[in-house]
Parts: sequence; C-alpha cells; structure tokens
Amino acid sequence: MISLDKITKSFGASNAVSDVSFSVPEGSFLVLLGPSGCGKSTMLRMLAGLDQPTSGKMQFGDTLVADGEAGLSLPPADRNAGLVFQSYALWPHMTVAGNIEWPLKVAKLPTEARRARVMDAMEMLGIEKLANRYPGEISGGQQQRVALARMIAPRPKVMLFDEPLSNLDATLRVEMRFELLKVHAATRATAVYVTHDQVEAMTMATHVAVMNNGRIEQFDAPDRLLAEPASAFVAGFVGTPAANLIPIENGKWFGTMPDPLLRDQFGYAMVRAEQITLADEEGPRIFDAVLAEVVPMAGRFLVTGIVNGIRITAVSDHVARPSGKLRFRLPSAPAAIFNKQGTRIS
Amino acid sequence: MTTLLGPLGSALNKRGLTLAMALALVVLVAAPLATILVQTLYPSSAAWGDVLASRLSQNLFWRPTINTMIIGLGVAAGCVLLGGFLAWLVVMTDIPGRPAIAFMATLPFMIPSFATALAWGTVFRNGRVGGGGGLLEGLGFSVPDWLSWGMTPTIVVLIAHYYALAFTVIAAALATVNGDLVEAAQMTGASRKRILFGIVLPVVTPAIIAGGSLAFAGAVSNFAAPALLGLPVRMQTLSTRLFGMIEIGQTERGYVLAILLIGISAIFLGLGNRMLSGRRSFATIGGKGAKPRRFALGNARLPLTLVAWVICILTTILPILLLVAASLAPSSLSLFSDWTLHYWIGDADPAFARGQPGIFHNPQLLSALTTTLILGASVALAANIIGILIAVALTRQKVPVLSNLVSQLSFLPMLLPGIAFAAAYIALYGAPIGPLPALYGTKLLLALALTAAMLPFAVQTGRATVSQISDDIDEAARMTGAGFFRRLGAITLPLAARGLAAGLLITFVNVIGDLAITILLYTPTSPLLAVLSYSYASDGFHQFANAVTLVILIISMLATGAATLLRGRRRQSFT
Repeated sequence: MISLDKITKSFGASNAVSDVSFSVPEGSFLVLLGPSGCGKSTMLRMLAGLDQPTSGKMQFGDTLVADGEAGLSLPPADRNAGLVFQSYALWPHMTVAGNIEWPLKVAKLPTEARRARVMDAMEMLGIEKLANRYPGEISGGQQQRVALARMIAPRPKVMLFDEPLSNLDATLRVEMRFELLKVHAATRATAVYVTHDQVEAMTMATHVAVMNNGRIEQFDAPDRLLAEPASAFVAGFVGTPAANLIPIENGKWFGTMPDPLLRDQFGYAMVRAEQITLADEEGPRIFDAVLAEVVPMAGRFLVTGIVNGIRITAVSDHVARPSGKLRFRLPSAPAAIFNKQGTRIS
Repeated sequence: MTTLLGPLGSALNKRGLTLAMALALVVLVAAPLATILVQTLYPSSAAWGDVLASRLSQNLFWRPTINTMIIGLGVAAGCVLLGGFLAWLVVMTDIPGRPAIAFMATLPFMIPSFATALAWGTVFRNGRVGGGGGLLEGLGFSVPDWLSWGMTPTIVVLIAHYYALAFTVIAAALATVNGDLVEAAQMTGASRKRILFGIVLPVVTPAIIAGGSLAFAGAVSNFAAPALLGLPVRMQTLSTRLFGMIEIGQTERGYVLAILLIGISAIFLGLGNRMLSGRRSFATIGGKGAKPRRFALGNARLPLTLVAWVICILTTILPILLLVAASLAPSSLSLFSDWTLHYWIGDADPAFARGQPGIFHNPQLLSALTTTLILGASVALAANIIGILIAVALTRQKVPVLSNLVSQLSFLPMLLPGIAFAAAYIALYGAPIGPLPALYGTKLLLALALTAAMLPFAVQTGRATVSQISDDIDEAARMTGAGFFRRLGAITLPLAARGLAAGLLITFVNVIGDLAITILLYTPTSPLLAVLSYSYASDGFHQFANAVTLVILIISMLATGAATLLRGRRRQSFT
C-alpha cells in the first residue's frame, strides 16, 4: 500500500532523512521509532505532503504521490490521508463538532452526509456529549479524541500520527493506545505512527522501522526486533528492559574476563536480562557489581547493578541482598555480538 | 523578643502585605476617583447640567465628544490596518529582514506623541496661525488647512504612535495560529483563501479587537496631539476641553468632563472585552508546534518590502531627523539651510528669535532637566517597589476579596485617561485634608499621580519577574525558617534584579515622555521637559520646542537601550 524508494530529504548540506526504502501492505500499522532528531517526523511530514522529498519516489497504492527528482508532490488533500498532530492542532474557534465537520465541508460533502459522518466519528470515540464544547474547555485526553475523530471523519486510506500520545499522562496513554487500535481496526486504513516510545511501537505495530540519524536501522515486525536485532542501536533501544550491551575486547568481557566463546572479538555482546542470573559465590563468568536499583515487575524483580560505569540489568525471582554488593552470572553464550560500529557480526 | 514579634510576624506573613497594598491603592487610585464623582454630585453643583444640558453644552461637551469619537475610531481602524498588515508580513510571509521590521514596528510607542506631532508640523504646517509655514510651504506648495491642522493630522500622528500596540498584539496572535493549525487545514485540501477566512482570521479576531480597543482608548485620552495640532484651529477634544476648563478655574466642569472621558474610554474597552469574553478563550494548546510555514510573496515581495520599510521609517527615524533639522534651521520654511546652534546654545540676542536664548542658556531648561530626571527616577523607583510588593502579595498570599481588590485597583489606572486621572488628583489633594496641607502645585502631588499611573505597568513587570521565581524556590527558603522579609531580601529581590532594573528604566521613559498628567499638575516654578516643550510650541517657538523634545528623546533612547541590554536578547520574537 505504502512504498518508499530511496527517499532522501536534505536541509541545506545535512540530510534529515537518507536513502529510506520500505513498503507495507494495506491495513498495516507501521511505527516509525527512534530518538528525537532521528528524522521520523520529517518522514511523516513527507508522507502527509507537507514536505517534499529531495530525491526518491513515494507511492500510495498505485498512485505516485511524490517523486523528488521530478519535483512531483501531490498536495495533502489529494493523498486521501489524515494527520493527527502532536499538539492536536484543534481550531480553537470551532466547537468539537465544528472541528470534525470543517474538513468535510471543504470536501463539499452534502449536509446530511456530513452530519452522519460527524456523529459516527464522535460515537466511535465516545465524545458525543462534547459536541458543542470548545477545545479550550475540554481536557487533554478529550482533545486527543477530537483530533482523532476529525482525522477519521473524511475516511482516509492512510492515517498519520505524529507522537499523538506524548502530551498525555501514563494512564490516559494506555487507554488511548487501545482507542487508536480500535479505530485502526474499524477503519482498516493503513496507519503510520511516529513515536520515540518503544512500548507504543511494540504494542501497536505490525511493522516497525527503527530510525537513527536519518537512516533505517531495522525494518521488521516487533517480535523480530527483540529476537534478532540488526544493530547494537536497536538492541539497546527496544525491549522492557532493553538488552544489556556488554563491551568486549579481544575476547574478554569488559576487557578483563577472557571467554573462549567470544572468539577474540571486539565490540559489544548482547545479553538479555533474563539470561543473567544472580550468583552467591565466585566462579567462571561471575562478576561483582554495585547495586543500583531493584524494580518489582510482574511478580519478579529487575535488578540493576553498575560495573565499570556500565548498567547491567538481570531478572530475578528474589530481591537482591541489601548489602549493596551484587554478583551477576553471565550465560554461556551471548544472544548476539556487534562490532565496534554496532553492526551485528554473530 | 520572638514571642513579641511572633504573632505580628505571622500575621504579616499571612495577609499583612496584601492589606497594606490594598490601603496604598485606595489612597493612590480609588480615593481620587471617588472624590471627583462626589464633588460634582453635590446638590449645589451645577456642573453636570452645565456640561450636558445648557447653552454651553454644545461647545463644552457635544462637539468635543464627536471629535474625540472620530479620532478614536479613526485611529483604532488605522492602527489595526497598519499594525495588522505589518504583523501579517512579519509572521506569515517570506519578506526579507523580518526581525528588523518586527523591531522597528515596536519603536513608535517609545517616541512621545508630541514629538511626532511636532515633526508633522515641521513638514505640513502652513502660515495660517502664525509662526511660519513648514517644509512643504518652503518648497512652494500651498498646504491646505485640513492637512496642516485639526482632525486629519491628529489622526495620522496618533496612528503613527499607537499602531505599535496593534502590531504587538496581532503578531503574537498570528504566531500562535501559524504552524500546526494552518497545516491541519491544509491537510483537508482547503484553499488559501478558505484557510485565511475560515481559520486564520477567526483565531486572530480577538487580538484584532484587543489591539483596536487599546488604540481607541489611547487615542481618546491623548492630549499632546490634539493640543498641538487641533487647538490652534480651535478643534477641541474631551481631553483638551478638560485641560482648558481646569486651566481657567472651572474645575467642576473639568471634573465632569474627566468622568465622561473615563466613561467613554471604559465603555469601549468594556465592549472590546465583552466581545472577547463572548467568544471562547483561544489559548492554543501546547505542543512542540511545527516550523511556521511562510507564504511566498513572489512578485509582490519587493514592493511589499518597500512599503513595510517606508512605514517603519516614516514613523520612527524620519520624525526624529525632522526634529533635528528643525531645531537647527532658523527658518521653518527651509529646514536644511543656514543651520545654527543658536536654539541649543545661543545667548539671548534681541535680533534673533525675539530675544529667546538657546535652550541650554534658559535657566528654566536646566531646572526642568533636573526636575524631570529626579522625578522620573523617584517615580520609577516608587512605582516599581509598590509593583513588586503587589506582585508578591498577589502570588504568594491569597486573601479572599482583598487579593481581588488589589489586583483590580492596580490595573485600573491603565483604563484611565492620564489627564482625567490628573484632574481627579487635583480634586482630592488640591485642598487640605484635615491636618494635611493642600498638595496642589507641589512636586509631591505630581509624583503621586505619576506613580499611580505607572502602577499597572510596574505590577505587570513585578508579576513577570516574581513568576520567574518558582514557588519551590521560595518554599525551599521557608523550610530553613527564614521570615517573609528575609526571603524577599535574600531570595526574591536578587533573582528579580535584572527584570526589575529593566522595568525601572521603562517606567522612567514613560514618566519623562508623559504630557497628559504633567500638563495639569506641574509646578510653574519648575516645569518638566515635556511641559516646557509644549509651552515653547504653543508660544510659536518651534525650534526650541523641537530641541527640548530631542533632549527628552535622547534620554529615552539611552534608557530604552539600557533596558534592552539588561533584558538580554529576550525580546519578543515572532519570526
């Protein structure tokens, strides 16, 4: 449904987005995930038609919507796409119903059809009672629902979201995640969702593009990102908790503990928290750490200690000893090894 | 010791400051206003009847009122158009030099309106009322009366002075609508025109109304421009009429006019407010907001840039240059020849300027200069000390009713035309109150009135500085056991110092440029610079008037520049 071919966007000499290609089928939920400044918002704005790619082609279904070399870029309204802004961008002088209706008026829908669509959209998000209120009079969570309703009322084939949940508190965020998925399921439109929160990506996406420095580090299904991270960046960014990246030098953990399994490698070994156990005595692959914190989670404990300035997290059934000293036992094999540049080598 | 001070200290901590400030505001603001109302309502007083329903009322009230309304509406419309146009250019388009234009467009408000009025005279004056013509007549044009005197020049000069207000307000509103709100509309496929009329204008409307009603209120209460440009041809407004009544000793009629002027100004500010509150508050919701999109001007870019710069230069630099030239040229007909420093430093010479010495040989000027500087400094200091105390009281102590009263009273002078406020001061403090002597004709009265008039600004500055200091910081000091005044001195004031110093300088600039209050309350023995300039001008000594005005301008610019430096580069940016 959406396919990108070598999309690049430059601002002056620097590239905000470099050479991005991917495609997702109709009805999928694509999450663009990455830290701030990674180019994910620029990507979204190009998909919306608010920015034009410098080079590369972009297709929605069979329609070519943008071609950087040819200077072609369909205006936003001709792409059959809707966008939810991070700030919601509700028009403050229109009521809730007015906000939802205005795009339909612009699209010249007859009055009856408009009324029905506005009602449908408000019902889907449970905001019928707010129809005559103004944006300034309703809460942040309600504004978010209005923004969603306004986006779906014209029934776009592509729904775009720019960090829509980042202004909400934790409880509302969980609730709205569910609402978003409900809306996505009901409309069967293709969704592209920008976020820096890997939990949102893991819980909502069918496809995730992890972005860093304007490039895609990995394009995969959420579970594949966890199982087979393509780079040290991905390994350290996704997962709750994220995997441990332990520096290795010349086949030695932390540069000090030799291990034949590491085969003289340099770089980082990825060890998942559930692979590390707490030990009582000294022994092979066991090292000391200073206790940093213990986080209870789902009946177990995330125990974090600090070794040589590096945080190491393990999952344990027991609370660590209160002495402040810890002993971690490494597994017999790391889950993956990355070289110094972060590229996966095994 | 502690047991003695304990209860007192804690009472002071709780509401003492608010109480003290409420008392100060009653003395400074509420009492004078109540007095003019009471004095004119004595059964023995015929003032209301005289003004509103007598043979005199046509000249006393109705004609000046009509003139005042025409000026107010004309200036409001002009300011919205001019300020709105510049705001649109700066915020929404790709016009080059946006920050410079934005900066220039806020400057006219710093130039006293009598300076602009005098500059108008240097160009457009004709010989009808004596004193010689201006530059245009010198070039051989015959300038019609309507362009030299009266309504048209008054409106133009006031627009040139007040459009900065409308610009600031409208630009701030446009900056909030630009970005996400416009992009959200673009996503729907709406045309540019539809976005302008459907989204941008409705969101900015409250700002347009606010800018317009501020300009209206400013214009109807302005004294300098109608006095300099209208009085020579007997065009009266409420403020010049009010001045005339007090000057000839018909104070009660003057008070009635003052009340009516306050009423008119309040009605329009109230109407504006009502239109605003009838609509919803358009506070746009936070978020990171997209980069503003700029409307490409295309072929119109160059002409519009020119127009913008011409407006900015005509209202800021040009008047100043004209005043400089006019203070050096012996003949007002040719501003750029035979320049002499006589009007600045010349000795009295019967053959020259009817024997008037240059302003620096005029003993009155030197005394006016020192009086103005001392008065400006003490009023700025007093107003800002009260301002910060009120701000502290309002933010740190919440006393029911009293806090509200303090907040309302401290803002009230903003709505009061300066000349009417001055009249109210004469009414209350002009006669002895019990053992207290009459203050009329003393510098103390002038200082009190100016302090009260500057309060709204001082409180605003105070609130801005105090609010920068979070409650947490104050509470952290409280945890150590420091008392209220200890915290004020050790925590609040040091943190607020820079902002306060900038506030002081701006208040100072406002005081030395004021004519509306000082013209009624100055002491004849030691006038102020603005008054001196006005009396030179009304006596036909234009070169001297221009020179004195330049002295005021130079002091103002130095102070404004210092304030800008102190504030750092925190100036409002819309671009």
